[in-house]
Order: sequence, then C-alpha cells, then structure tokens
Amino acid sequence: MQVMILFAVLVLTYLMVIAKRVPALIRSFRFQSFFLFLATLLAAFKEKQVELYFVSGLIILVKVFLIPHFLDLMARKIKVDENLGLLVNSQLSLLAALLLTYSSWALSRNLGFGQGPLQLAAVSVAFSVIFIGAFLMISRIRAFTQVVGILTMENGIFLFASAVSGGMPFLVEIAVFFDVFISVIIMGVFVYRINKLFTHIDVNKLSQLKG
Amino acid sequence: MPIFFILGIPFLLALAALAIRRQRAFGVINSIGYLAILCSSVFLLRQAVFLKKEIACFGFIYLDALSAFFIFVISVVSFAAALYSIGYIRRDIERGAISEKKAGIYYFLFNLFCCAMFFVPAVNNLGMLWVAIEMTTLISAFLVGFYNKKESVEAAWKYIIICSVGIVFALLGTILFSYAFSISGLTKSLNWSDMVPVAHILDKNILKAAFIFILVGYGTKAGLAPMHTWLPDAHSQAVAPISALLSGVLLKTAIYAILRFGIIVIKGVGFAYFAHLMILLGVVSLVVSSGFILVQKDLKRLLAYSSIEHIGIISIGFGLGAPLAIAGALFHIFNHAVTKSFMFFGAGNIVGVYREHNMNSIRGVIKALPFTGIMALLGCFALTGLPPFSIFFSEIMIIIAAFANGSYLVAGLLLLFLAVIFAAFIHHFGTMLFGNIPKGMSVSGEPLSGKIAFLFLFFLICVSGAALIYAGKDLIWVAQRLFQS
Repeated sequence: MQVMILFAVLVLTYLMVIAKRVPALIRSFRFQSFFLFLATLLAAFKEKQVELYFVSGLIILVKVFLIPHFLDLMARKIKVDENLGLLVNSQLSLLAALLLTYSSWALSRNLGFGQGPLQLAAVSVAFSVIFIGAFLMISRIRAFTQVVGILTMENGIFLFASAVSGGMPFLVEIAVFFDVFISVIIMGVFVYRINKLFTHIDVNKLSQLKG
Repeated sequence: MPIFFILGIPFLLALAALAIRRQRAFGVINSIGYLAILCSSVFLLRQAVFLKKEIACFGFIYLDALSAFFIFVISVVSFAAALYSIGYIRRDIERGAISEKKAGIYYFLFNLFCCAMFFVPAVNNLGMLWVAIEMTTLISAFLVGFYNKKESVEAAWKYIIICSVGIVFALLGTILFSYAFSISGLTKSLNWSDMVPVAHILDKNILKAAFIFILVGYGTKAGLAPMHTWLPDAHSQAVAPISALLSGVLLKTAIYAILRFGIIVIKGVGFAYFAHLMILLGVVSLVVSSGFILVQKDLKRLLAYSSIEHIGIISIGFGLGAPLAIAGALFHIFNHAVTKSFMFFGAGNIVGVYREHNMNSIRGVIKALPFTGIMALLGCFALTGLPPFSIFFSEIMIIIAAFANGSYLVAGLLLLFLAVIFAAFIHHFGTMLFGNIPKGMSVSGEPLSGKIAFLFLFFLICVSGAALIYAGKDLIWVAQRLFQS
C-alpha cells in the first residue's frame, strides 16, 4: 500500500514536469498532496496517533483544497497566457527528472537510510520530489511555476520528515503548515502586483536590477 | 521576565499601529516602546553574560549568552530604526509618496518584522527557529516592495523566492538533524538544549550532510556568496530604516541559526569540518563583494555589497575558531550592525534629497546636508575599519587570531581585500560628499529624530572600542564557551 502511494507521488511529480499549462500543473499538485494525505492517514491508522490524524486533516484542508483553489483563483484573475513558458522542453525535462530521481536514490543510499527497502524508497522519492521541485522553478518562465515549485519542494520535505523520523514534533508541524499557507498567499499577492505593474508574469523579463 | 517584554512589546505595538491614526504621535510611541525593549535586553544581557545564568521557560524559550547577545544587537538597531522612521515616514507623507493609512501599515509591518526577529534567538526548538526565520522573510518582503514600483516589486519577488527556496533546504537540514537524533535511540525532539549534550554520539555522516543543507539554506538568508544574489536588490529597494534592519540584523539572525547548528556539528564531527566550510564561504564572499564594490554605481547597492563583505569577515572569524577570533566575530556582529545601519540612515537622507541612487549624480552632499554629510564621511571611515572606530578593533582581533593560528593565507587575503574595499569606499564617498551641488536642487532641513538616531549610533561606534577594555573578559568568556558548551 505504501509503495503504491510512493509510486503515485513520483508519477504525479513527473506529470508536473511534463505539464505545459497552468491548470494541469495545479491539478497535479493537488493530487500529489492528496496522496501525501493518504500516506499520513495510513501512518496514523497504523501507529494510532491522534496527532497524525490531525496533521492529515490539515493536509487535506490546506494543501488539497485551500492552496490549489487559491492558485486557480489567481490564475483566472490575472488572465495571462496559460502556458508555463518552458525554458527546457517536456522531453528534456522528463529526462532531467529521471536523472534527478536516480541521483536522489544514490544520495539516500550513501547517507545510509538503509532501515529496510521501504524507507530507502520513501527517502529517494522524497529527495527526488524536492530536487524536481527546484528544477521546475528554474526551468519555467511564468511566476506561477515558482510558487508551485516551492510547494512541491515543501511536499517533498514533508514526505521526507514522515519517512525518516515519523514527522516533526506536532507544534512545529502546525507552525510549518501555517507558514506555507501564509507564504503562498504572500507570493500570490506579489504575482498579482507583478502582473499589474509589468503586464506580464515572466520572471526572465524581471531584469531591471543588475550589478 | 525581560524576555516577555522583548517579545510582547513589538506585538502590542503592531496592533496599536493599526488602531492609532495619527502617525506622528505613533512614531514617538513606537520609539518609546523600543527604548523599553533596549533596556530589557541590556538587563537580559547582564543576566546571561555577566551573571552567567541560563534562562529557560516551558522548554520553549531558551536563552544563553549567545542568544542574549543577539537580542541585544537586534534591540539596538531596531530602536535606532524606530527613531529614524519618524522623520523618514513623515517626509514621505508630506511628499505624497505614501498615504497616511499606508504609514500605519508600515508601522504594523515594522513591528511584526522586529517581533519575528526577536523570536529567532529566543526559541529553543530548531523547527520553531526555522519558522521564525521564514516569518522574517515573508513580512519583510512587503517592506522591500513597499513603494510598489517596478524595481521594488522585482526586488521583493527575487527576495521572497530565493530565500524561500534556500530556507526549504534549511528545513531539510533540520529534519536530518532530528533524524540523526532519533536513530541514536533517543526520544524525538528538536530542542537545541536536548541535542547538544548528546551531539557526540550522533551519526557523523548524517550530521555532515545535514550541515551542508543548513549552510546553503541559512547561508542564503545570511547573504554568504554565492547565495547572495537577492541581497543587493532587496537592500537597495527597501525603505531606508528597513534597509538598516535587513543589513544590520536580519543577516545576523541567519548567522545565529548557522552557529546553533554549527555547535552541534563541532561536537559531533569535529572542528575542522565546520572551520573549512565557514572560511571557504567567508573568503568567497569577500572576493565577490570587493569586485562589485569597486565598480558599483548605486549608493545603496554599494552598502549592500559591503554587508556581504562583512558577513564574510564574520564567517571567517567563526571559522578560525580561536577564542580571540570568535570574540572578534561576535564583536564584529555588533559593530557591523551599528555602523551599517548608521550608513543606511545616511544613504536614506542623501537619496531623499537627491532623489537618486546613482552615485554619479550625487555631488556636494556636505554642502547640501552638512550634518548627514559629515556623519556619512565618519561612517565611511568607520565602516572601512579606520582606528578610532569600533570595526577596526574587531577586524584586528580576527586578523591577529588568524596570524596566531598560522592561517597566513586567510589573514593575507583578508588584509588585501580590506585594503581594496577601503580604497573603493574612499573613492566613491569622496566624489559624492565633496564638490558642488547640482543646479536646481532644493535643500530642506534634516529632522530632529533622525539626528538623534545618528548620534545614538555614532556614540556606540565610538565607545564600543573602549568598552572592550571593560567587558573584554566577558566577551572572551562567551567566545571560549561558545563551541564547547
């Protein structure tokens, strides 16, 4: 079951890499978060911890409903071209993503996450989600992808935390959720402002400040 | 408990900023609040350093000498910034650059920003430390993009994105630390005070990898090259008092976080690993910043690059590791905070009158603004490390320690680049301060509250060198215990 969830998370990350339009990207992010929710729920069920139920509730509220909904709203409101503006085309991006997955597997094996093959797999998937999130941020033009990229990295971190140490302490977990939510809203505000001032949201054209 | 005043007052002031309509009156109230914080932090510093006590409450707050020192530095600069804001914001309102309502928002964000910064050294939990540092980014992004112009929004966007990505890596590092802690058979905890006593039994490889992530993550926020790219943009576009806070103390809070993790790594892996990384990043920062300082055309960017240089010096100081070098680095944190905010206030006044960042169009500052001009000249000497001022003392401490350590290459590079930066600063400021005022420029007076802020900081720049004689022993005591606690 856990392997299936990990597999789904990885596949959804690849779908993000080959996505060419904003709605597809947001949809993939929503499903990725949904599978994180399933993973947490499963862990909560196994370990019978009330706190984990609470955390999984937060995931479904914040990452599956509120944040993607907010992003959809923003995308509709600023009415720009829906294309993501690929600096690297889909095929090459997918190849890069596969390479990143391989290197995260090598990294997690070298770091000695060897307590069972399941943990190794979980850590490798988590690392590859983090690195692919970073890759998305630098290889797409529209400012939206930067926001979704950071969220993807955050999802990877969450997966990593639950794989290696059964999640962060409860209070920290709540604070991080709050933080992610605030940061998405603030980034959304800035995307909106950029669109208003520059009449585009292409980050490669934000180059007035130099030197 | 003074710590509750320090954490509570900015929060209450933030609420009050939304309620009180008259901005002039609120500016004064704000400054009084920060004066109270400054007094509390002096009291706290006395408890932690001179009486050598550690303060902990509910496992949430943990204060030792290091945190008390950082809280003191933050409170000094935020008090000066609060004073300076009164005149600065009033001038902006008079000119119509911002509305009265927006001034209220400014004070609201200013206080939240300071509150988040005070939380950074006070919390015990390393996860909460991460949250507090991310909060400082999110709040100050609005203050960077405050004027809502193209340049400032661009700077704010770069700032928020680069720092958020950096800080995600820091979170990864934090979780790796907690993983190292949990596989050694201990209970799950992210409290620093729980981790340090058992650091020597943690897995070495994981600690090493974790520290790399921490260094990349918080190093981005600290402005260490090559992760510094957001810094000149953000610091040059922010409101002047906020530039002072960003350069003076925000970078130091990230250094604080690196130190907290560094202490665990030193105990677990050994000193050499930490030292090599810190010295490497420090030297790279020094080299990169000196190049940009030489060819710089923008006044505020010049000061921003100078911050990268000083962060490099601080990082080298901690990397050298001798008690004298650590004492020098700690002392340099204070001196740079004070001197750099002093210079940003000066730059704020100059830019306010000339309405221009470009140093080629700024001429004759001493004639146009006699007070600011003289202060900027003295500040320029202080910043580049001329003797009677405090930065000279901390830099010489680090250089002596480097020679005594046998790190001749580091000492030589430090001296070389300090000389280059000195020459560049004297050149830039010489042409700006002297000469004739451009034609058709109207000169207005300088506000009193701004002058008080200048004199307060200038007093600290002059006397803290002498204070070393009085408190030097305590500083060395803190430095000796820092990496061995």
